[in-house]
Amino acid sequence: MIEVTGLIKRYGAFTAVKELSFTVRPGEVLGLVGPNGAGKTTTLRCLAGIIPATAGTIHIAGQDLTADPVAAKRSLAFFPDEPRLFDYLTVRQHLAFVARIYGVAHHEDIAQPLLEELEIADKADQLPGELSRGMKQKLAIACGLLHAPSVMFFDEPLTGLDPLGIRRMKDSILKRARAGATVVLSSHLLHLLEEVCSHVLILKKGEKIADGTLADVSARFANGEANVSLEEIFIRATGGTES
Amino acid sequence: MFGALLYLRLTSLRNTVLSRVRRLKQPKYLVGAIVGAGYFYLMFFRRMAAGRPPVHGPGAHGPVTVPPELLPTLLALGALILLVIVVLGWILPDQRAGLTFTEAEIAFLFPAPVRRRTLILYKLINSQVAIMFTAAIITLVTGSWGFLGGSALTHGIGWWFILATLNLHFMGASFAMTRLLDNGITPWRRRFAVLGLVALVALVTLAWLWRDLRAPAAADFESFRTAAAYLNTLLTSGPLPWLLRPAEFVVGPFFAPDTPAFLAALGPALLVFALHYIWVLRSEVSFEDASIAKSEKRAAKIAAVREGNWRAASGAIKARKPAFRLASTGRPEVAFLWKNLLSTFPIFRLGTLVTLALVILIGGLWIDVFPGYRGVQTGASAFALFMVAYTLFLGPQLARQDFRSDLLNTDILKTYPLRGWQVMLGQILTPVAILSSILWLALLILLLMVHFRQLAWLTPSLRLVIGLGLVPIVPVLCALQLLVPNAAALLFPAWAQTMRNRSERGIEMLGQRLIFIAGQLVVIVLALLPAAGGAALFIFITQHWIGLPAAVAVAAGGVVACLAAEVWCGLWLLGERFEKFDLSAELRP
Ligand SMILES: Nc1ncnc2c1ncn2[C@@H]1O[C@H](COP(=O)(O)OP(=O)(O)O)[C@@H](O)[C@H]1O
Ligand SMILES: [Mg+2]
Repeated sequence: MIEVTGLIKRYGAFTAVKELSFTVRPGEVLGLVGPNGAGKTTTLRCLAGIIPATAGTIHIAGQDLTADPVAAKRSLAFFPDEPRLFDYLTVRQHLAFVARIYGVAHHEDIAQPLLEELEIADKADQLPGELSRGMKQKLAIACGLLHAPSVMFFDEPLTGLDPLGIRRMKDSILKRARAGATVVLSSHLLHLLEEVCSHVLILKKGEKIADGTLADVSARFANGEANVSLEEIFIRATGGTES
Repeated sequence: MFGALLYLRLTSLRNTVLSRVRRLKQPKYLVGAIVGAGYFYLMFFRRMAAGRPPVHGPGAHGPVTVPPELLPTLLALGALILLVIVVLGWILPDQRAGLTFTEAEIAFLFPAPVRRRTLILYKLINSQVAIMFTAAIITLVTGSWGFLGGSALTHGIGWWFILATLNLHFMGASFAMTRLLDNGITPWRRRFAVLGLVALVALVTLAWLWRDLRAPAAADFESFRTAAAYLNTLLTSGPLPWLLRPAEFVVGPFFAPDTPAFLAALGPALLVFALHYIWVLRSEVSFEDASIAKSEKRAAKIAAVREGNWRAASGAIKARKPAFRLASTGRPEVAFLWKNLLSTFPIFRLGTLVTLALVILIGGLWIDVFPGYRGVQTGASAFALFMVAYTLFLGPQLARQDFRSDLLNTDILKTYPLRGWQVMLGQILTPVAILSSILWLALLILLLMVHFRQLAWLTPSLRLVIGLGLVPIVPVLCALQLLVPNAAALLFPAWAQTMRNRSERGIEMLGQRLIFIAGQLVVIVLALLPAAGGAALFIFITQHWIGLPAAVAVAAGGVVACLAAEVWCGLWLLGERFEKFDLSAELRP
């Protein structure tokens, strides 16, 4: 469960996110869409507690992120667009490290199936430098999933993956959502978002233009036409220009 | 085409300067720039101004200058050094020529319809910026070496000749070596050939010396002057002068004592430069493949260096066995110790520490039995004292397995369910462990080995108490010191990021570094003074009642408590800062 009310993020005089409010319930996957510079990454970083919001409240799984960041962070995982890994830790050592940080007892019992699901079990003793980009991303995901988070944030999770990787990533996300996780992701690949997201939120210059289920938002911008693609809706909603 | 390349170079330069100037809008970088500029002024410009002939007072000394008869020797020596560098340049490389281009340059220029020669020319012009800058800096830093005669201008131009010619020479050499490689001559065969040539020259020179000259006698080293005279005959007889001549041409402008000599030296220097230029431009070998490989390696290296990751920068990293088994549960800070220990050398292990301590302990007690070995003890003590000083002063700059090397992972660290101070505490544990171990061992040597008659009051029992008292003080002190560079990384991430990135260095960086080295010393003094003063006072007052050992023990406890409180405050402040820290905002130009 994610509850955001009146989220504002300013960088100096520049307001990157303006008065954003929304709620994502367990099992829902919210897609943040918007042109480059719309404030998607900024929003996700605020939600994950990486940067403090200028104003507004954020509740993650019922915990106030500002008042009790540690409790809120216990139930969330954030996956940045570039996987950030530790150069000297092998895949297995990454998991051991993260397990200790989150206090995951008997982490090996969880890690092994996770590695197998993500198909990096055979790379368990390799360093990030020896892994391909897709593999690095999988390792970052394994690290994030180890403590079984109930809230997940993905920033551009599908960029840089090959078609098979995209399919696997979509399946992973959907699987967690069906298991009751709350997911927010941002992406440019609109046609793929259609297959993963139950809800969308369209951002432009830090402002919410529309949000709701895919069907709602489509209906709003379809002007009565049938079968309008998300891409078309996106272009209509954002005026087609970059912010 | 060449116009476009020149445009690229000049606009890049302009934009770099502009973005640096823009950064000065941030007060902290402005302060850094002011301090750096002030330091530069005080250290170099003023000294250069002072180097001018004094116009006041009869008591003022003129600048010290080298006696003119020594100049040829210096010239020959300079040439010899240059020659050695050149020879090394022919021996060391083992790869194909690869001009260093940035990845962007490769992406834009290699597929473009540009002739190879134009690319080389571009590269040469490109390096001029760095060469001129280096020449200017060396001239400034050396205060233009007034004792050699000449002026700052002639020295600056002299340095330019040396650096620019070397640059050309290495480029030409790498092309030539690539051609050799393409003709099936392996690096080792080339090395043997070059070394053989060097050996031949050395033999001939020696043979010549044998015939015409005497071996150096004790009288030759009686004074500086006689030694110089001997060196001079050595350098100016036999075949050596002929070999040195081209190199002397290159260093000539630098060593010119006055303007006429400088102008006269310009001609030969220009000639050597021009010959090199023609040589390089005419030797076209295909350098593209190697350049691409090199630029990829360089990009990885720069990334590694930016993270303060010297092991990655110096070569391949290997997976290591951890220093200890990390349990899944327990204090999360320990995870950072475990992780950061993996990024150091595998000698930093508890086992190593215990073994070394035992060796020192047994060796120290054993050697104590033999009065004849006092010299060994004194030597070991001196070494240990040096280690203590070195570790205390430079240790925190060298052991960087903390937040400084994790800067780029900040976003991930911030999603962990930890308070800021916990992350900071975890991060400094590894350098604290490493530096403390070194200090403990050095102090153990000192306590076991120091033997002076004046130190007779240092009884074995007192030594034991002092040792035990120092055991807990050392890590807290190290932690306190390490807070400073980590605070620097948190406050000036752009600076920490670019500290090792050559193209980004500048006067404000210098200023910031000075501020922080000074800051580190001030912090240590401020933190230690009250604790140490209090402890000394306490020992002085109470030793008559409770005895010296007991007084020392109690005082040590007080010092530890005091320092630990200071560390805790520091960690808490850093943690607060970490929680508000936004790396992406800090690294914006
Ligand atoms: N640290 C920062 N300081 C100042 N402005 C920033 C910072 N980070 C992002 N911005 C600005 O905020 C806006 C939103 O950026 P971002 O959230 O990265 O967009 P998106 O992810 O939607 O492409 C952009 O205009 C960007 O330039
Ligand atoms: Mg983004």
